[in-house]
Amino acid sequence: MPKDPFKTRLEIAKSKISKRNLYKDKEPPSSIGTAFKLSTELVSAVAVGTIIGFILDNTFGTKPWLILIFFFVGVVAGIINVFRSAKNMQE
Amino acid sequence: MATNPMHQFEVYRIGPEIKLGAIDISFTNSSLFMVISSVAILLIFNFGSRKNSLLPSKIQLLTELSYTFVSKMISDTAGSKAKPYFAFIFSLFMFVLFCNMFGMIPYAFTVTSHIIVTFILASFIFVGVTIIGFIKHGLGYLKLFVPSGVPAVLLPLIVVIEIISYLSRPVSLSVRLFANMMAGHTMMKVFGGFVISLGIVGGWLPLSFSVALTGLEILVAFLQAYVFAILTCIYLNDALNLHH
Repeated sequence: MPKDPFKTRLEIAKSKISKRNLYKDKEPPSSIGTAFKLSTELVSAVAVGTIIGFILDNTFGTKPWLILIFFFVGVVAGIINVFRSAKNMQE
Repeated sequence: MATNPMHQFEVYRIGPEIKLGAIDISFTNSSLFMVISSVAILLIFNFGSRKNSLLPSKIQLLTELSYTFVSKMISDTAGSKAKPYFAFIFSLFMFVLFCNMFGMIPYAFTVTSHIIVTFILASFIFVGVTIIGFIKHGLGYLKLFVPSGVPAVLLPLIVVIEIISYLSRPVSLSVRLFANMMAGHTMMKVFGGFVISLGIVGGWLPLSFSVALTGLEILVAFLQAYVFAILTCIYLNDALNLHH
């Protein structure tokens, strides 16, 4: 029994699409997006750390010590963030 | 006559002033464009999913393509457990995408170029993902802040670092979207201003830059919506499949 011509066409189209997707997956992501992603990861952690330090300083009245400590903790957290997302990208 | 490049980001009131206590909740141009994007999404996806013919019309094709795109994105990044959250991520992606794209129309207002809008979106995601994590794992979700194999002396420091790194998620998510949109639109306006001020003799170079930037901005508008949605998936994945 001859196949329905529409079905054969559909199958051909499907196989073409799956082939195209195979190539698509290998394409590397745009590097400017990657660079921007990593930089925001770093900066946001520093900002959050500093803000937490500022708030704690105001509540405990220990200016300027906690803001200093939390700034550096934020820097470390930012570096860890960058490290993790860079690791994720490599996988 | 060059206009201020930041003028396009101004929020102004449309219609009467509405006050809820001390909070001004008047309808602004920002709200107008949010409404326009939401209505456009509703219309397109309603029309697109009304008739399910085997040979799809263009609008049905668009609907189905975006459905498979988002569903593939979710299954690739967050696994099959994230299927129940499809509706949320789909609407989020479409809302950000439409807001970005409507911003590309001349004289339109770009909703996502304001940090308060993107930050509210990101904080809702952050709070929601945290609640999901606590519902799924109970207090075991706190293990996210305690990496395994750390000596006990370092533990207090590591926990603080992990908490800061966790809290920085909504900030980086919102800043990324807002900064991309705002920088791009400001740049386009600046180049547009150059075209006017250099006139017919020297204006051709900035004009060609403007044309190229418009293409780039459309790419960025799509890419940032995609990044916003995919990072939501990644955070959801952390909450659903706890591994550290």
